[in-house]
Amino acid sequence: MASRAQEVRIRRIIACFAPARAGAPEAIAELAKEMQAELLGLFIEDAELLRFAALPFAAEVGFPSATRRPLDLSAVERALRAQASSLRQALAAALDPAAISWSLRVTRSSPASAVEAALAEGFAPSLLIPAGANPRAEYRVVRAADLGEAELRALLAAARPVVILRPGPAR
Amino acid sequence: MEMIPPAPAHAGLAPGELRRRCDPEQLGFATTAELEPLDGAPGQSRAAQALEFGVGMRREGYNLFAMGPEGYGRHSLVRQRLEAQASRMAAPADWCYVFNFKAPHRPRALRLPAGGAPAFKAAMARLVEDLSAAIAAAFETDEYRNRHREIEGELSERQERAINDIGERAKTQGVALVRTPSGFGFAPMNKAQDGVMDPEEFGRLPPEDQKRYEEQVGELQKELGDLFHQMPKWRREALDKMRNLDREVTRAAVNSLIDDLIARYAALPEVQDYLAQVKEDTVEHAAAFRQAKEGEPPTLFGIPLARPEGAEAPFRRYSVNVLIEHSGTRGAPVIYDDHPNHAALVGRIEHISQMGALVTDFTLIMSGALHRANGGYLMLDAVKVLTQPYAWEALKRALRSREIDIRTLGQELGIISTVSLEPQPIPLDVKVVLVGERWLYYLLHAWDPEFAELFKVAVDFEEDMPRGAQDDELYARLIAGCVRQEKLRALDRAAVARVIEQQARDAGDAHKLSVRMQALVDLLREADYWAVTAGREVVGEQDVRRALEAQIARCDRVRERLQEHIVRGSQLIDTAGSRVAQVNGLAVLQLGDFAFGTPHRITARVRLGGGRVLDIERESELGGPIHSKGVLILSGYLSGRYVLNKPLSLSASLVFEQSYGGVEGDSASSAELYALLSALADAPVRQSLAVTGSVNQHGDIQAIGGVNEKIEGFFDLCKARGLAGSQGVLIPEANVKNLMLREDVVEAVAQGKFAVYAVRTVDEGIELLTGVPAKEIHARVETRLAEFAERARAFAVTAGKKPWRREHKK
Repeated sequence: MASRAQEVRIRRIIACFAPARAGAPEAIAELAKEMQAELLGLFIEDAELLRFAALPFAAEVGFPSATRRPLDLSAVERALRAQASSLRQALAAALDPAAISWSLRVTRSSPASAVEAALAEGFAPSLLIPAGANPRAEYRVVRAADLGEAELRALLAAARPVVILRPGPAR
Repeated sequence: MEMIPPAPAHAGLAPGELRRRCDPEQLGFATTAELEPLDGAPGQSRAAQALEFGVGMRREGYNLFAMGPEGYGRHSLVRQRLEAQASRMAAPADWCYVFNFKAPHRPRALRLPAGGAPAFKAAMARLVEDLSAAIAAAFETDEYRNRHREIEGELSERQERAINDIGERAKTQGVALVRTPSGFGFAPMNKAQDGVMDPEEFGRLPPEDQKRYEEQVGELQKELGDLFHQMPKWRREALDKMRNLDREVTRAAVNSLIDDLIARYAALPEVQDYLAQVKEDTVEHAAAFRQAKEGEPPTLFGIPLARPEGAEAPFRRYSVNVLIEHSGTRGAPVIYDDHPNHAALVGRIEHISQMGALVTDFTLIMSGALHRANGGYLMLDAVKVLTQPYAWEALKRALRSREIDIRTLGQELGIISTVSLEPQPIPLDVKVVLVGERWLYYLLHAWDPEFAELFKVAVDFEEDMPRGAQDDELYARLIAGCVRQEKLRALDRAAVARVIEQQARDAGDAHKLSVRMQALVDLLREADYWAVTAGREVVGEQDVRRALEAQIARCDRVRERLQEHIVRGSQLIDTAGSRVAQVNGLAVLQLGDFAFGTPHRITARVRLGGGRVLDIERESELGGPIHSKGVLILSGYLSGRYVLNKPLSLSASLVFEQSYGGVEGDSASSAELYALLSALADAPVRQSLAVTGSVNQHGDIQAIGGVNEKIEGFFDLCKARGLAGSQGVLIPEANVKNLMLREDVVEAVAQGKFAVYAVRTVDEGIELLTGVPAKEIHARVETRLAEFAERARAFAVTAGKKPWRREHKK
């Protein structure tokens, strides 16, 4: 058992944060401390959202208030910057005192691409926490080699933590 | 000063008549240790019978008023009788206050059998503990979690499905549903139909397409908004389902626990009803049992705050405030409240400070004396109840309504309008015994119409008991009882005899014994102290004597100072020689607990006038009404005895010389008459004698009070100046039975150095004082008054008018 445990020791946690699903950074940070694993936060500024905000009649229907509010690109960008900043503060407050290595990347691409890029850095095994997923929910285990973009999208949409055993090839 | 003829042969009282001794040889014991203590209160048979009746009579209004002076054992006798009766009665019910779930500001009173309240309180505390565990456990089960998740899932599924439906419908129109940070939006899809159209691409569209997209998006937004408006209703439905689920789960956990308790209190429907309400309330407030531990302090911005004492805790509503309990007690309660103010009688509602505000609840209701005495007896000092604001009214209201209604004074007076508690009144079944002085009883009877209704039984305490042949022995047993109770050294029989004599002196009667228990116990304690000081194991007669001397020595500074004034000539009192119209009267001064006699010079002046005897004390407003009455009687005596066929043409004045305070009482009226007669008859009065006694219009000498102190007062002065053998005091014969004179006075009389004369009439007195036969005195007075009348008549004829009448009218 001891050797088996050694084999699956998580060295890195890749946590996705989306503007619409900020999730609970504290819970993820707590998990990183417990696992003594490096944390890589991916704050993905959804390209679709930015495109939408740039449209001339872009408007948002608030949930659950049902209030209709006009959206503009600069306001959405400001909101995303503020979200990223508060996320950075939360992770720093939780992990700096515990001397856990962490970083937060703000990317403007699709979630699958951002995760794929992170996996390509070669850390293994890693724990991937999709945006909005409960970090302590039951993990799925996949081999990195088996992950294509479609599989990755499906995993991210399923919103369940995934243990990735080996880095897959860069695409 | 004239020469006085020798006194006529009028024998003074024999030494044996001056003090009734208690012969130690007649007491059949060596020390009080051999005596059986007396059970009961001697001389108080009337009070004891009244007590017996009042205590046993359990009817409305038969409360008692034990009246008599302080120190006569009222409290101890009453308490003794009450405790005897109470011990034969059953212990009363326990009472507690609990939360009223229907009206929280009206706490509910619960009656439990004696000793049952603490057990009920413990059972409720245990129940809350059990409920916490059981409810928490019930919500931890997989069944609950699954059902809860199911409801939550159903709600989110319903919401997602509805949103997705709109999204799908939008997609068919070439519009994408986009998730935004705070909601959702709609945007035209790109050509590939897999994402949002670029703004540039949108800009290249024909205006009519752009407009069409805009309209479609607008409609979809409206549709989505309408959907969102429905969602609170769905959430409410889900919450109702969850609430019902919670109730169902709680009820399952609670039922068995509370039903067990309800079964234990099958004989108490009120308690069962309360527990049924507890059951319903716990179901409604199950969340409190599932929340974090009660002990966690509240926080403000993460900083822990000190929880104010008594702050509302979730389970406080299920606690039990045991107001009164009788576990381990036998018999009914007998309560004496030394400080019977309003709150101490009917109970109070306390408040605690919570975040700067005063708050209260049913656990802060405190019992009063009426609660503690309920089912038994309550003893109160009448004067204390009457002097505490609203205490008397509260006591009467409780007795009248036969229930204890706890209301604060603020509520009672209507001066506090904030919301407070109105605890449910508790039925009252108590017998109240008020202890007070007689004047208070009669005042209440006269001025408070409710008093007679509520206090029907008067317990009147005697101040003395008869001193018959067997009573000295009986009293010795009373002394033995006090000695034992106070854990004092035993008294030998000589000491007992001395104490008995002192008690007769205290009663002011040779044939009575004082039952002033406080004075008796004080004397015994002090005699014991002196015995200890002298190293004696048994208290002897000398210890009692020393205790008495010390008592007097501690109090007689004023007496000594007054006598010093007389001896040094500052106050003029003659104790030798003779003088016309000047008599030594005697007065008693009471200073605190100590009374002593002191002589006063009484003088008279006479002249022609309108038949009026002028009381200078009264004119100067120093004489009291009884003294004035005594002086007016003198006029009656003169006008009824002398010159009956002529007007009484006398103007006389009487005065207490060197008196700077008030004079009250008529005990000097005989002395005043002797001074008048001496003035009218021009007969000198022996200054070696002093006089006390009142007189009536027929010239009979009547009894007065304080005879012993008066005789001793004059004796002390004569002794200070040197007893010559001619000195003495005239007292009314009716007072001979009161004589319990000091032993040194009796000894002086036995040696012929002092005398006490008992007189029945003015004639006897005037003969003793002047040495002139009464007949001759009367003849001289008659002649003098006839002269006055004749001169007055002649004067009236000469002047043609009656000036003295005008003078009189003034």
